[in-house]
Amino acid sequence: METDVLVIGSGPAGIQAAIHASRRKVSVTVAGRPSASAAAGTEMDNYFGTGHVSGDSLIAEGIRQAESTGAVFTGQNVISSSRDGESFRFVLEDGTEVSAKAVVIATGISRRKLGIPGEKELFGKGVSYCAVCDCNFYKGRRAVIVGNESEAATSAEMMTGYASETSWVAWDVQASPVLVEKAESAGVRMYGSKPRSIIGEAKVEALELEDGTVIRTDGVFIELGAKSAADIAMDLDVMPEMDDTIKVGVDCATEVPGVFACGDVTGKPWQVAKAVGQGCVAGTNAAAFVKGER
Amino acid sequence: MVTELNESNFDSFVESNHIAIIDCWAPWCGPCRRMGPIIEEVANDLAGKAGVAKLNTDENQAIAVRFNINAIPTLLVFKDRVLVDALVGLRPKEDILSYVSGL
Repeated sequence: METDVLVIGSGPAGIQAAIHASRRKVSVTVAGRPSASAAAGTEMDNYFGTGHVSGDSLIAEGIRQAESTGAVFTGQNVISSSRDGESFRFVLEDGTEVSAKAVVIATGISRRKLGIPGEKELFGKGVSYCAVCDCNFYKGRRAVIVGNESEAATSAEMMTGYASETSWVAWDVQASPVLVEKAESAGVRMYGSKPRSIIGEAKVEALELEDGTVIRTDGVFIELGAKSAADIAMDLDVMPEMDDTIKVGVDCATEVPGVFACGDVTGKPWQVAKAVGQGCVAGTNAAAFVKGER
Repeated sequence: MVTELNESNFDSFVESNHIAIIDCWAPWCGPCRRMGPIIEEVANDLAGKAGVAKLNTDENQAIAVRFNINAIPTLLVFKDRVLVDALVGLRPKEDILSYVSGL
């Protein structure tokens, strides 16, 4: 699929970017799941002109507005991204390949930590937040992947190429069925209960689940949520900040021509008002970039 | 330019520096790529005070096993040839400099 602008993220920033880009007569595709937005499930009283309003209703109405301008919402997360000359290439969860002339990163901030006993203490001693980075150290050893979304599914499948035994703990599977099937047919053993604690003294020895199951393992790979903004940015040659935010100028442009960012991913304040303000700027400038106006 | 270590020069590098800081990395590791420029700056700032080098763990797996590296980026820190710490994860330059000044 080819699109002028790919917006990654379908919260307030991404939706507003889609509206403004689309109204400038460029084709717009939006990746990401609206339910994953930080605004979903919240109530707010500080957003201009609405009084008390739910994040869900703002998002739903925003998507309707954006779709009426021609933007296409895929509802799929990005699982891989790359820069190819002057265009940007992506693969979505269902395998769809997308080529875009400009990109707006509006993913929000990723939550990476589980917050369970043993996680902090055993970081670097078997606990990892990057399966791609550390899989090579688990050749012939046992590994558990933790996470509900496609990032966890692809990590689990990849890990089977290294580990002697790969397990995947997912208590609320949100991953694409295609990727779940791939992981299962690669030999991944699945568990459906939430992690309770990571056990070990000098190194990881086991992962205990809330249903009492104890999985003996050498490594616990925590892969929560979708592919992170920092990972996507690096794939596109944008260097994230130490806190994983993406630095932009007042024009919401990054250091790479054609790559823009807006919303929580650019830093605080994490407010809808700021997100949509930046979304307007990023969407407008992404469209201008595609049309050769900047 | 930060020295790239391998099986043949690893031990001599550790032996020839009072303090040796070795950034263990691999090309496909995003946080490692972010650590790269930070290590370059650390090497410049510590010139004459500590030896700073890089080790590709993919190409030098025996060394990774020898020092029990399970995750990257990891900074191996040696003082007088003895491994004193293995700092796991991406961290800012200031943290590394402050750590080294306390050695």
